Amino acid sequence: MSLNRIERAQGLRVRSTQDLAGGLFMIVLAAGAFIFSWDLPAGTLRQLGPGMLPKAFAVICAALGAMLALASLRYHGEKLSGWSWKGIFFALGGALLFALTIRGFEFGPIRVPALGLLVSGPLLIAFSGLAADDRKIKELLIFAVGMSAACILLFKYALSLPIPLAPWLLGI
Amino acid sequence: MKKSILGLVAAAALAFTGAAQAQSYPTKPITMIVPFAAGGPTDIIARIVADHMSKTLGQQIVIENVAGAGGTTGIARAVTAAPDGYTIAMGHLGTFSAAPATYPGLKYDPINGMQTIGLAGGTPILIVARKNLEASDLKAFVAAVKANPDKFNEAHAGLGSVSWTTCTLLKGILGTPKINAVAYRGTGPALNDLVSGQVDFMCDQIVSVAEQVRANTIKAYAIASAQRSPALPDVPTTKEAGLPDYQIEAWNGIAGPKGMPKEAVDKLVDALNKALNDEGTKKRLLDLGTVLPTAEERTPAGFAALIKRDADKLTPALSAAPKQ
Amino acid sequence: METIAHLSLGFGVALTLKNIALCFVGCLVGTLIGVLPGVGPIATISILLPITFGLDPTGALIMLAGIYYGAQYGGSTTAILVNIPGEATSVVTTLDGHQMAKQGRAGVALGTAAIGSFFAGCVATVIIAALGAPLTKLALLFGPAEYFSLMVMGLCFAVVLARGSILKAFCMIMLGLLFSTVGTDLETGQERLTFGIPALSDGIDFSVLAMGVFGFAEVLRNLEAPEARDVVKGKIGRLLPGWDDIKQSIAPVLRGTAIGGILGILPGNGAVLGPFASYTMEKKLAKDPSRFGKGAIEGVAGPESANNAGAQTAFIPLLTLGIPPNAVMALMVGAMTIHGIIPGPQVMTRNPELFWGMIASMWVGNLMLLVINLPLVGMWVKLLQVPYRLMFPAILIFCCIGIYSVNNQPLDVAFTALFGLFGYLLIKLGFEPAPMLLGFVLGKLMEEKLRQALIISRGSFVTFVERPISAGLLVVAVLVLAIALLPSIAKKREEVFTE
Repeated sequence: MSLNRIERAQGLRVRSTQDLAGGLFMIVLAAGAFIFSWDLPAGTLRQLGPGMLPKAFAVICAALGAMLALASLRYHGEKLSGWSWKGIFFALGGALLFALTIRGFEFGPIRVPALGLLVSGPLLIAFSGLAADDRKIKELLIFAVGMSAACILLFKYALSLPIPLAPWLLGI
Repeated sequence: MKKSILGLVAAAALAFTGAAQAQSYPTKPITMIVPFAAGGPTDIIARIVADHMSKTLGQQIVIENVAGAGGTTGIARAVTAAPDGYTIAMGHLGTFSAAPATYPGLKYDPINGMQTIGLAGGTPILIVARKNLEASDLKAFVAAVKANPDKFNEAHAGLGSVSWTTCTLLKGILGTPKINAVAYRGTGPALNDLVSGQVDFMCDQIVSVAEQVRANTIKAYAIASAQRSPALPDVPTTKEAGLPDYQIEAWNGIAGPKGMPKEAVDKLVDALNKALNDEGTKKRLLDLGTVLPTAEERTPAGFAALIKRDADKLTPALSAAPKQ
Repeated sequence: METIAHLSLGFGVALTLKNIALCFVGCLVGTLIGVLPGVGPIATISILLPITFGLDPTGALIMLAGIYYGAQYGGSTTAILVNIPGEATSVVTTLDGHQMAKQGRAGVALGTAAIGSFFAGCVATVIIAALGAPLTKLALLFGPAEYFSLMVMGLCFAVVLARGSILKAFCMIMLGLLFSTVGTDLETGQERLTFGIPALSDGIDFSVLAMGVFGFAEVLRNLEAPEARDVVKGKIGRLLPGWDDIKQSIAPVLRGTAIGGILGILPGNGAVLGPFASYTMEKKLAKDPSRFGKGAIEGVAGPESANNAGAQTAFIPLLTLGIPPNAVMALMVGAMTIHGIIPGPQVMTRNPELFWGMIASMWVGNLMLLVINLPLVGMWVKLLQVPYRLMFPAILIFCCIGIYSVNNQPLDVAFTALFGLFGYLLIKLGFEPAPMLLGFVLGKLMEEKLRQALIISRGSFVTFVERPISAGLLVVAVLVLAIALLPSIAKKREEVFTE
């Protein structure tokens, strides 16, 4: 994979499409930060305001991004490589499911009840496990149940963390 | 599909038994939200009190630290929770009395929008200064500050903290709101710079500064309570030292969402009272320099009155404070 | 000879059967929670506080301290095995430690980390015992101006951390600094870049960011390249470091211990700089710096020793000044006050059994950690043989529960997923997350100290150069930067590599 070559690259030999995208990415992030900190007062030297450093950092980020983008036009380097959409959808989606269901969620008309670790745990494991190319559904389901049980014993009972277990069933 | 139907049946069954058991609160663990990171003064008091209250109630009180925005994030979560008596919070002077004047967009109303349970304890506030500051007593200090406010640097533990709140009140009383305020993240770093003489003075709770005063690494001008503290008997009260207007105590108390069942409130008040009467718990609290609440302050009404009184006292100074 | 008398008093306290048992329990629990991503010593110590009510103060503190340094040990295990830094101090360990694991040298990396940490812990214990009191003065020499300069110096180290382009490393540092400004402004209470989300009002949590850009992003990267992850389970090398490994590690361990020990004394969490400084130094001293980032054993030995030395000398400001240098130490203050001992300059004279007993127990604890951890190495390495299709869901659930438990905030889990996506994007764009994390960690302190220094100096930047320590630190910063930037030096090196 291309990743290993990036890691081996040394010194100032800069690469192309990847760097161009990287530079533009920095500029976009910096511009966003600058716009959102626009209302914050920069203050004076004697009493720096809350806006001084965010704006200063944003400007430097943008400048560095511009340098990177320009450099990418002059030097050869890595190309952008493909994405693993499956990984993003299932693995990160699983984490999001966990976040939404662990103590419930309310956003406008959407309402998710608090399901607790008893449900959120297997849900996370089973859903995210689908991301693997070599998944075996039966094995995954057994693993989801076993692993969640182990987590409940470990976190809820051994470490007694205040994490909801199953408010809808057990009241805790 | 089968699973979800089973779940529904179980939930329905539980709702039924839940209704049947409603008379014997509490039937499950109670969550006490502490709106600060673990280990701070409020957290410690909450854990000491909750430990004994759990025994009385027969159910565990689970401490949940929900820090953020000077404690207002955690209190907001607690007082907007379902008023079933299973979510309560331990707040302090800042979150209950000072917050409305400190945070313009506050999401709860401490005076009318929550159910008070009772006060858990008060902590005296001290005015302390670096040990080589010229002024030898409070009168000289007040005179020096009033004469040259721009020469002084005040340290505080961040906007909304107890030290910021109480020092802003002091500056309001002295009529010098423009003293240079140096913000630190927490009492520890602020105290460090006071000991090393980088800043001139600060106000903070006795538990944080008492040992430094005893070791003479900093000096204490006065204690802002009605009586001297047994922990530092040599430090005069503000009344004795010539600044009687400056009377403030940092306290911690329990409250929950408005509309809690009366039975839950009564049981919690009773459990708190029993905890405060327990010798072991009492000793732990006294060791921290805590002043135990009066019988009146242990009641919901008494605690609510205290919140209101201190809010009235703090609001003018806090609203006038330069927040840019 | 006073030191020996003190230490013998301390060992008399620490070596009672009860205190040894408490120390063991603390170390064991600490190792466990250190290994679990997200569940840090803070959550655990606060949960265990009420349990210690029944103990005497010395025993209670010995146990709680055991949790703290046990967690430091355990944290490196997760960093090495699954590339997740539990704390800022183990970010550096992921760089070479995880690479070693990928090459089938996980056992060697874990063993080196444990032995290096043990050595550093022993030295740090002696330093605390012999020099604790005089070293305290060092902490008091550091005002806001000095801290600001120290942070600037730390950021210059980060440039050297980078494996690839220096320009990209700069980008990441600045991005880290930018992220660090998110949250409520300390002085004015204004919300900055929080988009009105209450969960962001105290800023982005370190574990949320670190677990996202390291842990989650690593999972995504592995999912995309099935052949790359099989390397991990394909080869199982030796379980413990061999003689060659040890020989290579001796000098880095010594240097790391010294650097970490000194930085740990500084209040304001100077200890986080230790591993970074040690890594920078090893990379600069190495004959072949290109090995770094690809599984160089020095890159594990040095920083791990620095980490543990710093973790222990961080007790000095707490025990001698009564001022906690970081959040865990603040919790230890809480633990001490709950037991009726209010930390302050007089703890040493007023409670000598507690003071010296705790110091002696640190040595006992380090020995125990070695005893607990070396046999565990085999088990950890075996864990790597779990098929990845089951391993990553397990990593995800541990991370999610851990993250949730930091603030009991489900939104934090969602943010971690978001940062996972962000970290994956960074990988795709050829950026490295380590300098960003250092920028993030130092950014908050840096802004705070800059503003404090400018208020105290009434707006004059001269304060940073007219104070000798501050000026000295800035000179070092410029030197480090110059070494990193001078293209002629870089070129010469490259020639050396290719030959």
